[in-house]
Amino acid sequence: MKFKTRLRLVILIVFIMFLLHNSFWLWDLDDRVSLLFDFMPFAFSYYIGYALLALLAMRLIIAIGWPDPPEDLIKQTDEQRSNNL
Amino acid sequence: MNNVLGISILILYICVLIAIGFYGGQVSKKTREDYFMAGRGLGSIAVFMALFASNITAFTIIGHAGFSYEIGYGAYGYVIGWSIFITPFTYYLVGYRSWLLGKRYGYATQPQVFGGIFNSKLISLLFLVLLLYYTLPYLVVSIIGGSLAFTTVTEGLVPYWASAIVIIGISLIYTLPAGLRGTVWTDIFQGTLFLVVAAFLLSAVARALGGFSEITGQIVETNPAMLQRSLSAELAPINWFSYSFVNSIAVIVFPQIYIRILAARSSRNLKQVSLYYPLALAAIFGVSTLLGVWGSVAVPGLTGKEADNIVPMLIHQFLTPTWMVLGLVVVLAIVKSSIDSQLLSVAHLVTDDFLPRFKRINSQQAVFWGRILLIIFAAIAYYIAYIRPGAILTIAAFAFSGFSVMLPVMIGALYWPRATWQGACAALVFPAVMLHLWYLDILPRWTTFGFMPVFPSFILAVLTLIVVSYLTPAPSAGQREKTFGIFDRVFK
Repeated sequence: MKFKTRLRLVILIVFIMFLLHNSFWLWDLDDRVSLLFDFMPFAFSYYIGYALLALLAMRLIIAIGWPDPPEDLIKQTDEQRSNNL
Repeated sequence: MNNVLGISILILYICVLIAIGFYGGQVSKKTREDYFMAGRGLGSIAVFMALFASNITAFTIIGHAGFSYEIGYGAYGYVIGWSIFITPFTYYLVGYRSWLLGKRYGYATQPQVFGGIFNSKLISLLFLVLLLYYTLPYLVVSIIGGSLAFTTVTEGLVPYWASAIVIIGISLIYTLPAGLRGTVWTDIFQGTLFLVVAAFLLSAVARALGGFSEITGQIVETNPAMLQRSLSAELAPINWFSYSFVNSIAVIVFPQIYIRILAARSSRNLKQVSLYYPLALAAIFGVSTLLGVWGSVAVPGLTGKEADNIVPMLIHQFLTPTWMVLGLVVVLAIVKSSIDSQLLSVAHLVTDDFLPRFKRINSQQAVFWGRILLIIFAAIAYYIAYIRPGAILTIAAFAFSGFSVMLPVMIGALYWPRATWQGACAALVFPAVMLHLWYLDILPRWTTFGFMPVFPSFILAVLTLIVVSYLTPAPSAGQREKTFGIFDRVFK
C-alpha cells in the first residue's frame, strides 16, 4: 500500500476519534446508563473506554503509518553529528 | 505539619533531587548537545516521563479538581478527553518528522527546524519571539499556581513569597549542573512518585468517605446534575468543540515538549511513548476529577477560587498529617517538573537561537550561557510571580491558544512542499494578532460566531498559509529536497 493511502487511513482514524470525542448525541445516556463498577457514571466511564480506544488507535497508526528510518540514514546522521561536536 | 514521618519524607525527597542534580552534573559532558539535549540519547521511559511530567502542571491536581468540583464528571471529557488521543498523535504527526530532521541536520529547537525548512532567518526569529512570548507568562503562572498550592498545603506556614523561592530554588539545584539530563532524571523520579501517590491518595480519600460506591451514591442522591453534561452551561457543545483546539493540540508546540521529542534516541522510543501516553493522561486526570467531584459532597459550599483548594481540604479534613506531607510532595513534584523544563527550554532557545545572532558561541560557551540565562530567567520569573502584573496574567490566559494557532504552520512545513516562507510568516503573525484582538475584547465577540477565539484563529492560520503560499513563488527544488528528500526515503 502506498504511503499516501496509509496517510488517508490515519486521517480517517483521527476523524473517527474526533467524532467520538464530540459525541453530543450520547449525552442523553449520562443519567440512563448505570454506574460502572458502582462508582463511574457514563460521563466518566466513557472516557476510560476512550483512553483504551486511543491506545488501540495509536497502535494502528504506528502499524500503518509510522515506518522506522532506514538504518543507513540514522547511522549516517549519527556520524555526521559526532563530527560536528 | 508536626509529623516526624512526614517531614522525613519531605527531606528525603529533596535530598534525592539534590543527589540526582549532583550526579547528573558529574556524568554530563560540558557540550551544548549534552547539556541541552542529553546527547539525544533518551530512551523510552526517559522520554515518556519527561513528556508526561512536563505536561502535567499544578492545574492537573489543583485547578482541574476545582473545575470538577463545580462542573461534575463532565469536566473529565471536556478538559482532557480529546487530549487523550490527539496529544500523543501530534507526537507522531509533528514530532517524528521533526525528530528525523533533527537527527539529519542537528536541529534542536523549533526556530532551527522551521527556520531550516524554509531557509529563513525571519521564520526562525518569529518562532523564537512567539515561543518566548507565550512560554514566559505560562511559566510565571505555573510558579504562581504552584506557590499558592504550596502555601495552602502547608496551611500558611510557608508564605507565598517563600513558596516561590523554594519551588524555583529546588528546580535550579538539579537543572543548573545537569541540564536536560537532570530534569529528565528528576522527571522519572517525580512522575513515578506523583502517579503512585495520587493512586494511593484516591484510595485513602475514598476509604475515608465510606468507599467508592458509597460516596458516588451520595452524589447521585444529593446532586445528580454532576452526572449530566447537558445540564452544564459551561459544557455547551460549542464550548466543548472549541476547547478541542485549546490545550490538546498546543502541547506539541510547547518548546519544552518539542525539544524532549528531538532528544529521543530512536523512532522506537517515540512509538512507545505515543502508544502508552493516553493511559497515563487518563489516569492522572481521572484521579483529579474524582477527588473534585467527591469533594462537592464531602466539603460542600465552596465557590469560585475556593473550589481550587478542594484536594488540600480533603486531605486536611479526612486524612492523617502524613498524607498532608505526601500531598505537599506531590504538589512540589508536579509543579517543579513543569517549571524546570520551561526554564531550561527558554534558556536553551535564547542560547541557541538568539545569542548567536550577535556573537559566535562554541559548544562549551553555550553551556556557560545556558546556566547564566537559567538564573536570569528564574530571577525574572520570580519577580513577576511576586508582583503578579495583570498584563502577564492576561497573556497567560490565552497562551495555550497562542501555541495552538502556531500548529498549522508546523504541520504545513512538514507535510506540504508548496508551503513558502512568506505563507508561514503571514500564518504565524495574522492569527496571533487576531487572537489578541478577540481576547482583549477589541473585536466584538460575535465575530467568532459563538466559538472560542482559538477556533477561528486556527482556521485563519490554515487559510493564510495556503493562500499566501500560492500567491508567492514556490520554494526551490533544492530547498524542498533538503526536507522532503529525507521524508521520501522514510515514508515510502
